[in-house]
Amino acid sequence: MEVAKPANYSTSYIDKPVVPGDVVLDLSSMSNQTIKLGGGLRQDCDSITAMKAGMLRFSKPNKYWIESSQKRYVPSAGDTILGIMVDSKADNFLVDIKGPALAFLPVLAFEGGTRRNIPKFEVGTLIYVRVVKANVGMNPELACMDASGKAAEFGPLKDGYMFESSTGLSRMLLSSPACPVLETLGKKLSFEIAVGLNGRVWVNAASPSTVVLVSNAIMNSETLTGVQQKLMVDKLLQRTQ
Amino acid sequence: MEQRLANTWRMTINEKKFIETSLLSDLRVDGRHPFDYRRLTINFGREDGSSEVHLGQTRVMGVVTSQLVQPYRDRPNEGTLSVYTELSPMADPSFEAGRPGESAVELGRIIDRGLRESRAVDTESLCVVAGKVVWSIHIDIHILDNGGNLVDAANIAALAALSTFRRPECTLGGEDGQEVIVHPPEVREPVPLIIHHLPVAVTFGFIGKENIVVIDPTHFEEAVMGGSMTATLNTNEDVCAIQKAGGVGVLPSVIMQCLRVASVKAGDITSKIKSAVESFNTERSLRKIKRHTSSDVVDVSETAQKIDIEFSTNRMDRLKLLSEDRRVAQSNDMEVDCQISLEKGINKRYGDAKSFSGGPSSWDPYSKGVDPDALRASLASRAVIAPTKKLEDSKVDQPIDKERKQPITEDNSYVSPNEVTNTILQTNGEKTLIDAIKPKHRRRKKASSQQ
Repeated sequence: MEVAKPANYSTSYIDKPVVPGDVVLDLSSMSNQTIKLGGGLRQDCDSITAMKAGMLRFSKPNKYWIESSQKRYVPSAGDTILGIMVDSKADNFLVDIKGPALAFLPVLAFEGGTRRNIPKFEVGTLIYVRVVKANVGMNPELACMDASGKAAEFGPLKDGYMFESSTGLSRMLLSSPACPVLETLGKKLSFEIAVGLNGRVWVNAASPSTVVLVSNAIMNSETLTGVQQKLMVDKLLQRTQ
Repeated sequence: MEQRLANTWRMTINEKKFIETSLLSDLRVDGRHPFDYRRLTINFGREDGSSEVHLGQTRVMGVVTSQLVQPYRDRPNEGTLSVYTELSPMADPSFEAGRPGESAVELGRIIDRGLRESRAVDTESLCVVAGKVVWSIHIDIHILDNGGNLVDAANIAALAALSTFRRPECTLGGEDGQEVIVHPPEVREPVPLIIHHLPVAVTFGFIGKENIVVIDPTHFEEAVMGGSMTATLNTNEDVCAIQKAGGVGVLPSVIMQCLRVASVKAGDITSKIKSAVESFNTERSLRKIKRHTSSDVVDVSETAQKIDIEFSTNRMDRLKLLSEDRRVAQSNDMEVDCQISLEKGINKRYGDAKSFSGGPSSWDPYSKGVDPDALRASLASRAVIAPTKKLEDSKVDQPIDKERKQPITEDNSYVSPNEVTNTILQTNGEKTLIDAIKPKHRRRKKASSQQ
């Protein structure tokens, strides 16, 4: 009855578009491995199925996720994101992460956090955080430290300018050979940038004009190819200089 | 509750601070200078009287519709104009579905005031029967995406939709001559509204402690600004309306400066609307020609046949009548008339399509500057004088030419049969074939001329 599946079932789908319902991985053929699932994938017994349309991505050693571009963010554990402080409760800070529900940031989830030294955040503060838990039907849980308990770069971001874009753009900015926009901009200008996987980008620089230029260049680059991005940035730089 | 909390749009302290600090060096977050307007594009739908305006990220749709209603008692000979706004939650999560919120009402009021107070739309030309039936014009504004400065975008959408709107032609007719007949667009070319000028709204925002003035604020700037001012102006530099919202105080010199800037921007926007409307109109007339040549081939042959049959029976009837009357001269006239129309009928297939598309679309009944008083007088005279009324009825169907109608109504004491036939001939010159051969009218005319 069952059609024999090819042995390298998973490789055929990597970096290819998938649609909801596609069985992208067969766990029965890779029983001795541990894999991590990112956004858009779910496990049904021995098979991993796609839950949204997009490209299936794989990063070594064992992480799989589906990449697509959307304005809303669906939290998944391990993502680094930019959140906005909404409210503070006794045990948790409430943080807006552009998702379907507000996220909880426990007051102790800071480096060296104790009951004594609880940090204070004004409503509207922008913070760079990591998603720790993202279960269905529960508010996602955040932390301001990495897995080893170090503060790393996490924490509140001061000054600068934050703008919202799509999750696809954030992925593009974070891709490992630096994306052409940031590369070209970085050659001419000096600026700080923090990209959240939830589509929020924070930019800071010495002069406001640099911030405006960088943020607009990034916002314009979403639908452009690498070469077009370079041309666009060059044009923008020429106009301002 | 929790759901709504997660869905509301929030602004960080960083953004608020940055908008204010960058404005100190005359720079805005989208790269504009304080007195730069965003990119404006105007599109039109396939239907008359619908427009879509893009102003940066803001998207607004305007739709104009018309309806025959009873006028207000204090303004019996004026049509009505009303603006309805809808802010859907799709455009901005802060908008609630259902009842229009405060911002929706304010938006509608600003647009309404700009159009009404400046009398931009000629409401008197919307009158059909004074005190009884007038046209009511509805402007529906749908906000599709909120990128800030909804007022200006909505106002432009309303103006663009009004400029392309055409109401159906209607005439008086029926048994008593008081029945309003609305002609479908296939039969009579719809009539555009008379718009005297375009009142364009230009919005300014006042941001920060220094009250820095910015034109066309985005929704980020709207969240930060202390107050805003909307000036509605036209190209003649008339200020039609001013709306000042928010608690911030503004110096008179700043207001004057804003008005000067606004009048320049209003000129730009007006020319943009006009060119967009013009291109829409040319496209529309091109489409019209296409439609008639393609669809009428089937249609016309059928109707023409029918008309021919009708015609022959008509003619027989009439000839019988005429022979009884023994009016030789008139019968000759009628004969000629009849033949002309018959010829028309034969040529209809070729000639009609042309006359349909070209004639009525370019024809404007009000271009001659119709005096409303004269119109009223003629309406009144029609109501009083019974014998001429019927005669006129037949003519109302035809494009109303005031100059010609006036003398006839004046010497109503005696209408010579010759004159009657003359007028009929005249009317036939311009009438379409279908109007020319209404058997009922003919017979009634005959009766009146026999008196």
